[in-house]
Amino acid sequence: MKNVNEKLDATAAAMKKLLPAQDILQFSFSDGTGRQYVCFFADAITDKDLLGEQVFRPLMEYRGEARAKEIAAHVTAPEVRTERALGKLAAEVLAGNPVLLWDGMDEGLIAGTKKVPARAVSEPPTDVAIKGPREGFVEDVKLNTALVRKRLKTGELKIEFLTVGRRSQTAVAVCWLEGTSVQSAVDGVKEKLSAIDIDNVPDSSYLARFLSDRPYSLVKQVGTTEKPDIFCAKIAEGRVGVIADGSPIALTLPYMLVEDFQSSEDYFVPAARATFTRFLRLFALLVAIYLPAFYIASQLFKLQLLPVKLLLTIAGSIQDIPLSPSLEMLLVLLVLEVLNEASIRMPKYVGMALSVVGALVLGETAVSAGFVSTPAIIIVAFSGIGLYAVPNLIEETSVLRLAMLLVAGSVGTYGILLLSGFVLIYLVSTENYGVPLAAPFAPLTRRDLRDALLKYNLASLKTRPAALGSPNRRRQK
Amino acid sequence: MKLSARQICFFLAAVAPAGKLVLMPSQLVAQTANDLLLPVALQILAQSALVFAVLLLARNGRTVYGMLSDMVGGFFAKAACVLFAAFLLFAAFVPLVEQKILVQSIFYDTLPSYVAFAPFFLFAAYLCAKPLASLGRVWDMLAPLFLVGILGVLLLSVGNADFGALLPVGAAGAGGFGRGVAYTAGWFFDAALLLPLVGKFPYRKGLAWKGALCYLGGGILLLFFLAVYYGIFAEIAVTQLFAFAHMSKYFSGITAMGRIDYLFIFAIAFVMAFYTAMPVQAAVDALTDAFGHRRVLAPTLSTAFNAALLALMLAFNFVPSATVSAITQRAFWIFPVFAAGAPLLLLALSPVLNKRRERHAR
Amino acid sequence: MRAKRFLRSFPMKLWIILAAIVAITFFSNDFGLVDIQKTAIILAAGIDRTADGFSLTAQIAVPKGSDRTTGGTSSVEIEGQGATVSDCISAIYAKTGWVPKLVFCDLVLLGEEAARANAFDALDFFLRNEYAPDSCLLAVCEGTAAETLKATSAIDDASSLALEKLFSDAAKKSGRVMTTTLREFAIGYYGRSASGYMPYVRMSSQSGAQGGSGGQNAAGGQGAAGGQSGQEMIFSAEQTAVFSQGRMTDVLTEAETFAFSLLKGNVYGGTLPSDGITLAVLRNDGSVSLAEEPTLQATLSVDLKVRLAGRDAPSSLENVAKDSVTEEELAAAESALRGAIGSLWERCAQSECDLFNLRRTLYRRSAAAYGTWKPLSQIGTEIRVRIEGLR
Repeated sequence: MKNVNEKLDATAAAMKKLLPAQDILQFSFSDGTGRQYVCFFADAITDKDLLGEQVFRPLMEYRGEARAKEIAAHVTAPEVRTERALGKLAAEVLAGNPVLLWDGMDEGLIAGTKKVPARAVSEPPTDVAIKGPREGFVEDVKLNTALVRKRLKTGELKIEFLTVGRRSQTAVAVCWLEGTSVQSAVDGVKEKLSAIDIDNVPDSSYLARFLSDRPYSLVKQVGTTEKPDIFCAKIAEGRVGVIADGSPIALTLPYMLVEDFQSSEDYFVPAARATFTRFLRLFALLVAIYLPAFYIASQLFKLQLLPVKLLLTIAGSIQDIPLSPSLEMLLVLLVLEVLNEASIRMPKYVGMALSVVGALVLGETAVSAGFVSTPAIIIVAFSGIGLYAVPNLIEETSVLRLAMLLVAGSVGTYGILLLSGFVLIYLVSTENYGVPLAAPFAPLTRRDLRDALLKYNLASLKTRPAALGSPNRRRQK
Repeated sequence: MKLSARQICFFLAAVAPAGKLVLMPSQLVAQTANDLLLPVALQILAQSALVFAVLLLARNGRTVYGMLSDMVGGFFAKAACVLFAAFLLFAAFVPLVEQKILVQSIFYDTLPSYVAFAPFFLFAAYLCAKPLASLGRVWDMLAPLFLVGILGVLLLSVGNADFGALLPVGAAGAGGFGRGVAYTAGWFFDAALLLPLVGKFPYRKGLAWKGALCYLGGGILLLFFLAVYYGIFAEIAVTQLFAFAHMSKYFSGITAMGRIDYLFIFAIAFVMAFYTAMPVQAAVDALTDAFGHRRVLAPTLSTAFNAALLALMLAFNFVPSATVSAITQRAFWIFPVFAAGAPLLLLALSPVLNKRRERHAR
Repeated sequence: MRAKRFLRSFPMKLWIILAAIVAITFFSNDFGLVDIQKTAIILAAGIDRTADGFSLTAQIAVPKGSDRTTGGTSSVEIEGQGATVSDCISAIYAKTGWVPKLVFCDLVLLGEEAARANAFDALDFFLRNEYAPDSCLLAVCEGTAAETLKATSAIDDASSLALEKLFSDAAKKSGRVMTTTLREFAIGYYGRSASGYMPYVRMSSQSGAQGGSGGQNAAGGQGAAGGQSGQEMIFSAEQTAVFSQGRMTDVLTEAETFAFSLLKGNVYGGTLPSDGITLAVLRNDGSVSLAEEPTLQATLSVDLKVRLAGRDAPSSLENVAKDSVTEEELAAAESALRGAIGSLWERCAQSECDLFNLRRTLYRRSAAAYGTWKPLSQIGTEIRVRIEGLR
């Protein structure tokens, strides 16, 4: 049986077969004419008070026809619709919306009285702003789209819901501005989302892999944000946004590398300050990637990279270290990665203990015991701090840092140069939805440089980024 | 279109000069002493004119292979492309030798293992297998990098230059000047590098002039570099094989701050690595134009050419000077034949081609 | 189908293979590398002539270990001998097992004998070695370079660092020392003038007696504890050795060296002693020009702006406040300086050392002018000195 039958018993039995779980409850009642009704709803994610007030109470007093249209009109719940397919009705129940079946009708009624437990809107921990909005996305897609709608009060904002995940049936909202976003990108995103065939979508990062043109790419291909203000700004530039139910991280496409050097705060502070901090982020990132590698290369292959006095200081420090400089650096770097990983996952109450262990035991004691040298610790610490200047690129940069270290320890300075060449070629040849990853630098788009590393005054940013190819270029007069 | 006109201009102005900073200055000084600027100025003027000619060829939007096959048929056009690719591979040899000895000198403090240079071929194979659009974008990034590098080096070194060392003009005589022109031909074949790119970028009005002026601009920068180089090293300039990596170390701030000039030197060396792979890239392009199947052929040819060049470099490992002088001082005539002959011939024949196409169109 | 699958996964396999190769070379730690712990960082090289060739004394920096409580730079001097300088370096390698690295060699000190023979016999190695910087300073020392480098300096832990202090830019501005680098000396040597100069280093013990010491220099802050003789030495380089055709032909006195500095226009803030007074140089314009007509004539001119730095007798408060130098005193200073310049010229002419590169100047002018070149002793001179006080 695939559709609702006029015989209530048979339909209810079929529904029960589709929804055998114990948290799916079944409630039977009759109306004023004695007509039998059965309501299926999921415990804990259905607002039972609302269901009683808006559905059961009006229907118990109902004396009219059994036609769905009339019953729907009698029910006071604002979100009501009908459906024939049992599978779809079952899915609605699982999503938290109760389904009402009654005798003599081949349609079921879905009442939108879902009540999913959700976290309150709060400031996201990964994207803290000193100036600017503090709202962050939560795990509820409806609430998240509401946060977007609150900021873009225009009919041009389109939000289309898709369902992804064979078993999770995750609701995914695709958001774009009609006439501003590139239609091919919108279609591409929808097409790729529809083509996803996996069991479960626990987080939007799963979707990011499927939305990338190069899923095996070292560099991420999809922009991420936890803040609705950034999300809306990106959509307003002509990008497409994707919000997945159950994830506070929204995706934006097409992605350009330069996005991660921009922060929302850049738009709330003077342009000169924003430019400075963007260059600072770039500098910090380059230091994070290259410093350990050049430190090793300078000791092994090219002493001249360091002033002689500094070199002698380093030579003195490493004199009694049992490991070679490259192995020592690798070891310290790995310890840093382990500490980093542990500090994120570890319960907060043991965090202090971890700091003590990390800083005192592994740091100071290892140096005084002669396992590692002080300069190596300083270099790795500086590199580690630099990495966090651009938090959205940590995964990529930490891999790159390790790769640079390996080539520095094996081929030397020339290896660093060549690997940088590889990275450059890779970055410039990567495109996503037709937008080059390295834009606006490669290919060079002069006008877009006004909001790349340089940050012009807002009044000068009259057009949307040309690299995105928006059909509506001008954003202000 | 795979490339943009801007990217071509960037290549001509700020990537092409990078290939002339390693051995050419000292080889030139060996022939002309203080008169080194004159032969290079002539080469730059000639190449600017040839660049102008090559860019004019791009007006009809056809690739060189396309033009040739219209003129002489597919078979001969393919043969011409193979010949031209062979020339480019031959021309690739000097930049490779330069890159190899440069690597040993500026990236290491002691003579490294001779296979230290081998990873370059991996890099070159990767670059040459990439589509042209990537190459154009790479130029977008390299051009400012080169300018920062060279201007940084020049800024740090110009204070130590004694430009009086360039006097008296004409001391090398006609013989020295002639040898200077002939023996530097091996470094001036940029017009030939452009030929496989013809038809792959849009021709806009005035591009030929712009391209020639960009090359001239890069050339003027090169001439200034040579003037500073001779101003600093004067009589011992002939011994300075990697002058660009040494010129800036005499800056008084260097002692206090360490070799900060390495930032600029590495920037130039980075650009140079890309330029070194450029002839092989052009050879791959010429052949893929002729034989098609770029997706398969480009990586295959790129791997094969780079593997062959690596083998040759290892074979000639201990005769770098002899190799360079054989190419630049004995076989120098090959360069103008291809770098000047090919574009000029194509330009001369283009009216014939146009007439044919008009006839076909009718 | 299988081939297609292989081709599709080939790039990934290739990356894995490459990563494995890089990892192997990384962990094997041997790709032609010489790491810092196997390296002898040579701070300075002293070269002396021996009967069989050369003796090179390398002052090698020794890391101080993790104890950074004391400042300065420890060093050790190792000597190597051989037919060429390259042989000497190899001998040091054989003796110590450290790979000698010259990239930080900022000073090459020639012993007097090595300088009197062709200096370029020794310096050729440094010029052609791409891993030795030609920006290193050159100096000649009284006696042997080995003695000088091994001496315990009262100024710095490493004698070479003490010597480098003497050759600093500030010292150069005082006019008391004329420094030169290998590049400048080589340009002079291979140039038309075939001449050059180097500072001439003398050392004296703090008590005044001359002598040298050997062995290892002590760690910073520990004074002379490491010296063999324990005698702390003071270096001076107020004299200048002049070279013609690469050979040291003469040594300029302190006054001549100062005159040379003034002719070069190097001096700012240096002091010019005169009859009972000392003048501080505030502005120094110096030049040496050559006129061809009617006969070759060199004009050596110095134009100074000075102020009074001190007198040998007490002045009245009024005079101190005025800070004025009388015309007579200036004239006396001019005369003294003219004498020093004349003496400098005479010394150069006698040894045919074209210190002012006049021959090169003529060559750069034109081929015809170059044909009129005559030996220095036959060139006429005009010395113009003008000293002005503050008004």
